Amino acid sequence: MRARSSITGRLITAVLLLEALAAIALIGAVTVHERKVQYEAFDANLRSNASAIFGAVQDADDVGDNVQLELRGLKIPKKAIYEVTDQRGVVLGSAGSVPTLRTEPEGFEDAKVGGRSYRFFVLSADRIIDPGVGGGIDRPVKVIFGLPDGHVWHEVLGEVRFFAIATLALLSLTAVLMIWLIRKLLMPIHELASAAGEISASRWQFEAPGSAKEYAELRPLATAIEKTIARLQHTFEQQKQFTSDAAHELKTDLAIVKSSLQLLSMKKRTAEEYERGVALGLDDVTRLEQTIHKMLTLSRLEQPQELAGQTCRMDMVLLEAVQQTRPFAELRQIRLESALAAAVAPLDSRDAMLLCSNVLLNALQHSPEGARVEVSAAGNDGKVLLTVRDMGEGVREEERESLFLPFYRGDVSRSRKSGGTGLGLSICKAICDRVGGSIGIGNHPEGGAVVEIVLPAAGEKDQPVADTTIRFRAE
Amino acid sequence: MRLLLIEDEQRLAENIAAALRESGFAVDHAADGDAGSYLAEQDIYDTIILDLMLPAKSGQGVLRDLRARKLRTPVLILTAQEGKASVVELLNSGADDYLAKPFDLGELIARVKALIRRSKGAVSAVLRVADVEVDTVRQVVRRREVEIDLSPTEFRILEYLAHKPRAIVSKQELLEHLYDYDWEHHSNVIEAHVSNLRRKLNVADTEPLIETLRHRGYRLREDAL
Repeated sequence: MRARSSITGRLITAVLLLEALAAIALIGAVTVHERKVQYEAFDANLRSNASAIFGAVQDADDVGDNVQLELRGLKIPKKAIYEVTDQRGVVLGSAGSVPTLRTEPEGFEDAKVGGRSYRFFVLSADRIIDPGVGGGIDRPVKVIFGLPDGHVWHEVLGEVRFFAIATLALLSLTAVLMIWLIRKLLMPIHELASAAGEISASRWQFEAPGSAKEYAELRPLATAIEKTIARLQHTFEQQKQFTSDAAHELKTDLAIVKSSLQLLSMKKRTAEEYERGVALGLDDVTRLEQTIHKMLTLSRLEQPQELAGQTCRMDMVLLEAVQQTRPFAELRQIRLESALAAAVAPLDSRDAMLLCSNVLLNALQHSPEGARVEVSAAGNDGKVLLTVRDMGEGVREEERESLFLPFYRGDVSRSRKSGGTGLGLSICKAICDRVGGSIGIGNHPEGGAVVEIVLPAAGEKDQPVADTTIRFRAE
Repeated sequence: MRLLLIEDEQRLAENIAAALRESGFAVDHAADGDAGSYLAEQDIYDTIILDLMLPAKSGQGVLRDLRARKLRTPVLILTAQEGKASVVELLNSGADDYLAKPFDLGELIARVKALIRRSKGAVSAVLRVADVEVDTVRQVVRRREVEIDLSPTEFRILEYLAHKPRAIVSKQELLEHLYDYDWEHHSNVIEAHVSNLRRKLNVADTEPLIETLRHRGYRLREDAL
């Protein structure tokens, strides 16, 4: 199992790591700088000591105008090593053993003396004797002065240690502050999460906390959650409504079947009465069966599907639907008129038939006797347009949307008396939605309702369609 | 007893009406809320059986309007809706009883009878007037422990009168409560039935149970012994 990683933890680690890197770099820089400063001071010390010793070189008052070293009154550090030589290489004075140095004629050099690290300064200068008489005599003198430089490093390290401790203390302090600050800054996320966590099937209200909406980074998330919840709630409510309506419908159908059988068994009846009762009971069961069948169809159609590339000639299907419903139309003396042009839609032929026959039956059911029902199919601009017009009472404006809701029965004419289950148009809508089409119902300017179906056209676009128009009339 | 059935589901209404008629009730049927409301407000029914999901006007609307007119006809609700809340709401808005679909026809009939008894102030299914016992469930009539064989119409007349002892019941009222709209109304048919009923109820050594008050109607005498 992967360990849970937290943004807070990562942020703190990242910031502390960066801080530590900066501190190390800083300490490095401080070390270099400190070393430079310390060595400059040390070198100045060496130089001044060497100069002092050079100053102690005096006229020896002898015939050869030689020089000598007079160190009285001069304070020389105890560990110092020095050597003063004149131009002939005669050592005028020394302390300790001076190693062989390469530096000529002047400069600093490091060397080991008896296992200790020393730094030497080589000073070459001319001592002028009797400057007053004829410009004096130049006597070149070389002073080598050295001191152990171990303590310089010691001091540099001491300085760096102090710096490191101070940095560490500051780091710890910023870490604590940062944890507090980041927690505080991330609070809106926690608040958003806890608000979202309270959503349940029984409590859909969700309003993102104000704190979450204040931040530019969180606002899109909060808004997205709000919108998603609202959409989900809508779907959930629809599902609930559907379940409740479906239960109501099934119970009603079941109540009919049950009452038919109970009525039959209330007392002894004649064979004819039983026969009639059983026949009626069977009809009742058939209706229950149809309701269940339609519910299952709707449920199947509402499942998302992968388009398997099936296509269907909608004009042919509509023509077949017209022929199939003709007996029903003749029964009510309704004339069916069709104007069909070739149109191919990406529908399964079974679904296409379901769509056409449902819309057609709906029109026939709402047509007065002896009226006319007009159907048309056409394909152009990558669309398939089907229309079915009846001469009935039309639809009320406020019902136009609800008519496609499952089990919707707006008025008396659409109640169960008309034989429908209230699922026909919902099934049509599901078929259209599935292929990205649409279905709508409106009123014709000359009266009656018009159902308009728009489907995307599938393939065979280049095929000429104008001359395939079929005129069909059911007398 | 005359009942009003308001139910839009044609087949269900047919079955309920047939069962109730076989149990001796007169039944009128309305297929939508408007028609149901109109009939219910005639105030001639002993009980109204009301479906909730109705076209034109909902069952709740019918019930509300009925009670708003101060009509106290017992109302039994048929509902396919789930949930205690809607039941509580219905009872509070003036329904007397309810049955959830799919229901038992036998239970429906028993509940209708119970509602009628309660509304007429009877305690049990067996009505007692003087020395006559009317068992409304088994539809049996006894006088002094002697069982009397009555025709369905005669029984219904006696049952109706027994619910209103000492009250004068007009022929018109009997007609309204014993027959539904599908029947021809003839007051002389009632007279014939009452005369037969009176004859059958006359057991030896008893006073006539049913009084005829000229131009006013009939009355059951409670002191008849």
